Amino acid sequence: MRLRPELLEIDAESVTWFITNFIRDYVSSVGARGLVIGLSGGLDSSAAAFLAVRALGPNRVIGLIMPEEETYDPESIRHAEMVAESLGIKVDHVDITPMLKAFYSSLPAYDPSDDMARANLKPRVRMACLYYYANRYGYLVCGTTDKSEAMLGYYTKWGDGAADIEPIMDLFKTQVRQLARYLGVPEEIIRKPSTPGLLPGQTAEGELGLSYDVLDLVLYGLEHFMDPRQIAEDVGLPLDVVLAVKRRWLENEHKRRVPITIKLAYRSIGHDFRLPYALRR
Amino acid sequence: MALAQMECVVGDKEANLTKMREMVCAAKEEGAELVIFPELSLTGYVCRDLFYELAEPVPGPSTEKMAEVAKEEGVLIVFGLPERSHVSGSVLYNTAVLVGPEGVLGSYRKMHLPTHSVFEEKRYFRPGYGAGVFETRLGRIGMMICYDVFFPEVARLLRLKGAQLIVAISASPGVRRAYFETLLSARALENTVHLAYVNLVGREDGLHFWGGSRLIGPTGSIIARARYNEEDLVVAEVDLSDADRAGIFLPMLRDLRPELFEELGREARR
Repeated sequence: MRLRPELLEIDAESVTWFITNFIRDYVSSVGARGLVIGLSGGLDSSAAAFLAVRALGPNRVIGLIMPEEETYDPESIRHAEMVAESLGIKVDHVDITPMLKAFYSSLPAYDPSDDMARANLKPRVRMACLYYYANRYGYLVCGTTDKSEAMLGYYTKWGDGAADIEPIMDLFKTQVRQLARYLGVPEEIIRKPSTPGLLPGQTAEGELGLSYDVLDLVLYGLEHFMDPRQIAEDVGLPLDVVLAVKRRWLENEHKRRVPITIKLAYRSIGHDFRLPYALRR
Repeated sequence: MALAQMECVVGDKEANLTKMREMVCAAKEEGAELVIFPELSLTGYVCRDLFYELAEPVPGPSTEKMAEVAKEEGVLIVFGLPERSHVSGSVLYNTAVLVGPEGVLGSYRKMHLPTHSVFEEKRYFRPGYGAGVFETRLGRIGMMICYDVFFPEVARLLRLKGAQLIVAISASPGVRRAYFETLLSARALENTVHLAYVNLVGREDGLHFWGGSRLIGPTGSIIARARYNEEDLVVAEVDLSDADRAGIFLPMLRDLRPELFEELGREARR
């Protein structure tokens, strides 16, 4: 196999069929009434919302728009509102700034110069809000992490990584982009640079050091057990860059699994309880 | 011989080769002529999907490196590795190799691959289809691996093929310690044979390996034992001819009833 962009092409119609049926089936099998989803105005959450509405209809999907002061961006909010409006779903605005400030002023260890610790608090507060809505209405939280982010661990553990269902987690970022076009996500959302929106001026490609077009091919190669030397040659990257991506992928396995425990007994969580996610109600 | 009860760095062959070399040197200083490492000691046990990239042919780069060590130190070495078959990189074996100064003297592909509880070996490995006994300057050595210990026919087969020493390498998690401690002495005793068991230590992915490696005599008694739960290197001496004397007092090999094996074969196929 040689890595080439066509490998990432998807049949958007068929993928949509699989994902919407999956959403509908899982939501009903656990007896949930619908999905609540955090809308950032970005590609992933917009695509996930479009899929959720295709699966369940607009009356069973709630969007939350949760800006905060430090990264406040009117355009993102406008995009999120545009998605909600075009889908006809209920949307609530939750300004999380006062909650964050309460954390900052309550935490004895709080240090404003520690950007990462502060940044990760934001998606965790958003997660708490989403779960409040989920509990309040008998909904599930719909995650919006894509496969590129999941493989790299490029998300906040128990923040945006916390959800009940992840409809797009087996699609690389560039594949979500194709799917979003098919679903009718507004083009200006699809075209704008991806950002985690945790810190001002942050862009994913700037932070990861590679464009998603290249990165996704590297990840595709790693998924397919390709030798990093072959990957580097095929995509035209130095070997150490590919090895750094590989290392990042492997080092973040802890984010993708249930927390590790020491095996002590007959059957253990995360080791050898092998049970279905859900029994049909 | 030396029971080299090591802790591995998962997925880091260089680090594990370095440690094996150090332990061989230390064992040699204490007079060992045979140094035994645990199951999959080249890579660690919980490598999961990384096994495909870590696996190597036998003979291959790592057996060559260990043969060099054997040559420098003038010893024999048994260690474990994921073996890549000559057929395809998708076909792997969980293998024990015996190397000496001349290179690979013998290898054994694990026949019983645990795939239950925390074990997923059949997901990665093809089982081996035979047990071999290898003539060395120290005597005839047969090898088996971990879960094979639960099947008395493996040790018996090795013994009937002439093994004077059965080397059992292992990566056994703590929750199974009692079973191994019971069975290992039984395998030695029922075959009146020396048995060297070498287990992994350390924690890999929340699995704790209990160590407790041991050299067992042909009456089932423990001649030497490594510490539980921590890295250790134990060197002990045996006289392989003790087995003959034990066999006069415990003459099970003389009293074997081959027709029962035939019946066993028939019943087990049903």
